[in-house]
Amino acid sequence: MRIGVPHMGNLYIPLKALFQRLNLDFVIPPVNNQRTLSLGVRYSPEGMCIPFKLTLGNLIEAAELGADTLLMPAGSGICRLGYYAKTQEQVLHSLGYNAEIVCIGVSQRKLLGLLEAIKRLSNNASWAKIISAFRFGLAKLNVLDSIERAVQKVRPIERVKGTANQLFAQAVRATEQADDYQSLKRVQKDYLEQLSLVERDESAEPLVVGIVGEFYVLLEPFSNLDVEKELGKLGVEVRRSIFTSEWTKFSLFLNPLGVNEKDRLHKAAMPYLKRDIGGEGWETVGEKVLHAKDYDGLVHLAPFTCMPEIVAQNIMPSTKENIPVLTILCDEQLGKSGMLTRLEAFVDLLKHRRRAKVKV
Amino acid sequence: MVKVGIPRALLYYQYYPMWKTFFEGLGAEVVVSPPTTQATLAVGSSRVVADTCLPVKVFCGHVLALVEKCDYVFIPALRSVKSKIYNCSKFLGLPDMTRAVIPECPPILDIDIDINKGKRKLYQAIYSLGRNLSWNPLQVRKAALAAWHAHQEYKELMINKGLTPPQAIARISEAATPSPNPKQAAIALIGHPYLLYDELINHRLTHRLEQAGYRVLTPEMLTDEQLETAITRLTGKPYWTYEEEVVGSGGHYLESGVEGVIGVVAFGCGPDSLMMDMVQRQAIRLRTTPFMSLTLEEHTAEAGVVTRLEAFLDMIQRRKRREAKVCV
Repeated sequence: MRIGVPHMGNLYIPLKALFQRLNLDFVIPPVNNQRTLSLGVRYSPEGMCIPFKLTLGNLIEAAELGADTLLMPAGSGICRLGYYAKTQEQVLHSLGYNAEIVCIGVSQRKLLGLLEAIKRLSNNASWAKIISAFRFGLAKLNVLDSIERAVQKVRPIERVKGTANQLFAQAVRATEQADDYQSLKRVQKDYLEQLSLVERDESAEPLVVGIVGEFYVLLEPFSNLDVEKELGKLGVEVRRSIFTSEWTKFSLFLNPLGVNEKDRLHKAAMPYLKRDIGGEGWETVGEKVLHAKDYDGLVHLAPFTCMPEIVAQNIMPSTKENIPVLTILCDEQLGKSGMLTRLEAFVDLLKHRRRAKVKV
Repeated sequence: MVKVGIPRALLYYQYYPMWKTFFEGLGAEVVVSPPTTQATLAVGSSRVVADTCLPVKVFCGHVLALVEKCDYVFIPALRSVKSKIYNCSKFLGLPDMTRAVIPECPPILDIDIDINKGKRKLYQAIYSLGRNLSWNPLQVRKAALAAWHAHQEYKELMINKGLTPPQAIARISEAATPSPNPKQAAIALIGHPYLLYDELINHRLTHRLEQAGYRVLTPEMLTDEQLETAITRLTGKPYWTYEEEVVGSGGHYLESGVEGVIGVVAFGCGPDSLMMDMVQRQAIRLRTTPFMSLTLEEHTAEAGVVTRLEAFLDMIQRRKRREAKVCV
C-alpha cells in the first residue's frame, strides 16, 4: 500500500512528517504546476471548480508515482467538496489506475474520524505512536504559519522587495527537513529573527487589505496566482483569518467542545445572512461587516462557479458597513497580467480613499 | 385578504400544490408570478452578479414581478429534506440573497427546513411560518396537514398517471389534460424541474419532443424506490437533496428501454456539474441508450437547441432503422 495526498499550500509538510514518523510508504506528488492543472482540467467535468481540478491533477500525478491509496477530504453538508472523491475515483479508474480513495470525514466526528483513518492506514500502529506523530505534524504546521504571519507583516515595508519571500521559501525548506522538536524550534526562532532584522521603511503606513473567500484558493498560492505576494509588492499589508494551523486547531480540538472561532463572524453576518450556506459563504459576509472599520479593503477570492461564494458575493454589496471589495474568480483561465491590472487599480482606489479620509 | 406571492421558479414546480393549500388554509390569497418571459430573465439578471446560475436569475425576475402585487413573498430556505443530505448553497441562502438584491421586495416569509435538526424544530418552523397569517395554532396545524395531503396527491398524480408537474397542477385545478399514450416511443428528460418545465429557459423542449412524435418521460414519474435503487447503483449514498432528479432518474431511464435520454443542465450549476457527469459516465459504460446533455444559460439560442435536438433525434431514427435491418 502506498499513500498519496493532494496538495493545499504547505500542508504536505506536516503530512510528510506524520507519514514518516509512522513509517508508512507514501508519495508526495509534485507541487502544483502547469502540468497538474492541465491534467486536472482535461479529465474534470466541464463546470467543476478549481480545487477539484487541481486536486484531481495531484491524485493523477500521485497515481503515476505508484500511489494506490489516496486521501481526500469528504463529508456531508459542505459544498461540492463532499462529492469530489466519488467522481475523482471514477476518473482515476477510467484512466486505468487501480487506486482507492480513502475519504477523511471533515464534517462529522472530526478528530476521532481522522485519527481512526490514520490508524487504519498505519496497519494498527499503537495509539501512542499515532498521537506523537500527529503532534509533530501539528508542530510543523504551527511553525510554518507563525513564520508566514511574520512574512505578511514584513512584505509591504521591506526596503529590498522580495527579501521576505526568499526567507519564507528557505524557512519552508528548513521546516520540511527538521526532524525533531529541537531543530524545529531552532528553525522557527532563526527565521523569525532573520525576518525581524530585514531592513524596512519604518515611516511607511501600508494599506491593510483583508483576504477572504473560499478555503482552498485562499491557502493554495498556485490557484490564486500568488495574490498575497503581488499585493505585498504593491506595498499592501495582507490580513487573512484562515490559516491551516488555526483551522486544524479549532475544527479538530475546540469545535467538538463547543468553542467556535467563527461565532464572531457569524454574529456579524446575521443581519444580512441568517444561516450557514456551506463552504465559507457565511464567514465571507461576516468578515466584511466585522472589518469594515479596520481594513482599507477586501480581496475576495472564489473559485469560478463556487456556490457559497456566489451567494456571498450577491449579498456583500447590500451591507451598511461599507468597504471596497475586489472579487477575483480563480480558475484555469485566470491570467496573471489581467489580475495584476485589477489589483493595481484596486490599490490606487484604496490610496485615494485613504487620502480623502485623512483630509476630512 | 392577505396576499402571499409565490415566484414561479425553482421549488415552485415541486411544491406549489402544497404551499397553495397551506396558505389558503390560513385564509390567504395566493398570487403566482406569470410564466417566465424574456423580460423576467432580463430584469432578474440585472440584479445579481454575472456568475449566478440561470435558475436563480429567473427566480429574481419572478420575485420582481411580484413586487407591489402581494403583501408577502414566500421564499423557504430548504436545507435538507432527508437525513444527512443537503441542498445547494443557493437554496440555503435564497431568502437572504433575495432580500439583498431586491430591497423593494415585500416582506419575505422565510422558513428553515432542516430535517437533521429533528421533527420538533421542523414543526416549530411550520408554526412560526403560519403564525404570520393566523393567531390560531390549531388552524395552522389543520392547514399544514391539508397541505401535506395535497402534496401526496400531487405526487401520486405524476407517478400513476405519468403527468408532468405543470400538467398535474393543471389537473388539480380541474382543467382537462390528455392522458399520455403509454405505447408511444419515449424520450426521457432528466434534470431539475425548474429547468424542464420552464418553457422559456429550455426553449419549449417538451413541446418539441412531443411534436416529433415522442412521449416525454420525466423524473417525477418514477417512484421513490426506483430512484433510490438507481442512485445506489451509480454513486452509493446520495449527497444532494435533488440527486434523485438527476442521478436517480438518469440511472433508471438509461436502463429502462427508452429511445434516448436528454440531460438538461444550467451553466455553472454546482451540483449538476458532478451529477450529470455521473450519468454521462454511466451512459458511456452501458452503451445501450443514447444520451445527450444540454447546457442552458441566458445566451443559449433557440436555433442551437433545435439543431442539437434534431441531430439527436435523427441519430435515434438511424439507429432504429439499422437495428430493424439486422433483424430481417
